[in-house]
Amino acid sequence: MSELAGTIPGKGGFSFDLCKRNDMLASKGLKPPSFLKTGTTIVGLIFQDGVILGADTRATEGPIVADKNCEKIHYMAPNIYCCGAGTAADTEAVTDMVSSQLKLHRYHTGRESRVVTALTLLKSHLFSYQGHVSAALVLGGVDVTGPHLHTIYPHGSTDTLPFATMGSGSLAAMAIFESKYCEGLTRDEGVKLVAEAICSGIFNDLGSGSNVDICVITKGKQEYLRNYLLPNPRTYVSEKGYTFSKKTEVLFTKITPLRELVEVIEVGDAMEE
Amino acid sequence: MGDSQYSFSLTTFSPSGKLVQIEHALTAVGSGQTSLGIKASNGVVIATEKKLPSILVDETSVQKIQSLTPNIGVVYSGMGPDSRVLIRKSRKQAEQYYRLYKEPIPVTQLVRETATVMQEFTQSGGVRPFGVSLLVAGFDDKGPQLYQVDPSGSYFSWKASAMGKNVSNAKTFLEKRYTDDMELDDAVHTAILTLKEGFEGQISSKNIEIGVIGSDKIFKVLTPSEIDDYLQEVE
Repeated sequence: MSELAGTIPGKGGFSFDLCKRNDMLASKGLKPPSFLKTGTTIVGLIFQDGVILGADTRATEGPIVADKNCEKIHYMAPNIYCCGAGTAADTEAVTDMVSSQLKLHRYHTGRESRVVTALTLLKSHLFSYQGHVSAALVLGGVDVTGPHLHTIYPHGSTDTLPFATMGSGSLAAMAIFESKYCEGLTRDEGVKLVAEAICSGIFNDLGSGSNVDICVITKGKQEYLRNYLLPNPRTYVSEKGYTFSKKTEVLFTKITPLRELVEVIEVGDAMEE
Repeated sequence: MGDSQYSFSLTTFSPSGKLVQIEHALTAVGSGQTSLGIKASNGVVIATEKKLPSILVDETSVQKIQSLTPNIGVVYSGMGPDSRVLIRKSRKQAEQYYRLYKEPIPVTQLVRETATVMQEFTQSGGVRPFGVSLLVAGFDDKGPQLYQVDPSGSYFSWKASAMGKNVSNAKTFLEKRYTDDMELDDAVHTAILTLKEGFEGQISSKNIEIGVIGSDKIFKVLTPSEIDDYLQEVE
């Protein structure tokens, strides 16, 4: 056996032993686990005064809608927000952790957080977990250097873009952006475009649905427009309501407390000597 | 004296039952610049002298009063570098508490954790106690609070307290002037007067620092112009 093939690096580093095992299992016919689809549409775009982020609000567990109105736009810093697609627990934990680190950094430096700082903290964390933390993020914010928009993939690679979409509904949303985006959009135009892109994802992708959340970040101000659009209201609710016929009469009611109250009266010389 | 034989090692008790290194640490605090804190009915004020070693030092780069969380601030007397380490640790602990419980850390909890750190350094090998005493001012659900933490790791809640060079005069002055129903503005005036008592030279907004927290629960360090306003009211 040559020395190089099976050597484990002295300290740290990635151990490739399990990769050899996986190859061996695959050659024996074992199918590797398939990828889990990220059921979401998240988008971001840069307009003339800053950044607008948008997201749908459906959280899925396979074919079941687990949460009809969840929040996918996470707070990172007063001037930075992050949309998350992928495993909900992963996106929440990772954005929470980096938000905490940014807060400590702000205390130590006395300065506003920068988007690239959040970007680097997120990508280093995701890279060190080699893609097992299934979080695909759209990070946007405005700092001293101007407005920024980035996408971060679960393996830790990033892109810097003027408009971006992620998630299973990303193609539907990107179609809207590619045809209608231009530089120097006003706030209202930008919000309208983002809402349109998310709606496109909501109506054309099974993994996305319910409502549209939007966050507008400009220099010194951020507006979190929760449930900006509600294009999927529950329209058919029974007017008569639901009643159940009474079957059993109540004849007699008695309440017995499970624990008895004991009063302790202190006697003066109890424990002397 | 028998004690001197036991004063070199932190982790050895002297025959009189004292840890002499901690006594020495308290002496280091006692020779530091004066700082004080006053708890009012609707807030807390902490203040300190800011004597710089030379007129060539850029005083805008020095800030002795720091915030640990949005609603808790701290000032120290003693060795500045030691206070930096403690402040950094406390901020991290406050943040970890928030991560775990999603609740802003109560003032007593933060003080207790900081005091625990200081105590650890009195019972470990190869380290020395911190040469600072901290005054922690905060406003949470229990109202305004002021705590003093010593190098030994003991902490007390105070209505008004002082530390550093001029401690005995300052405390006597505070004892006379303190009233339970004092409001925050009165407390700031009293703090300035107390600092003035033992001040060498002319007091101005460039050589003192004041931090306040009011019922809005936001700790802030006053700007030099705000300090000037208060100084004028006091004159």
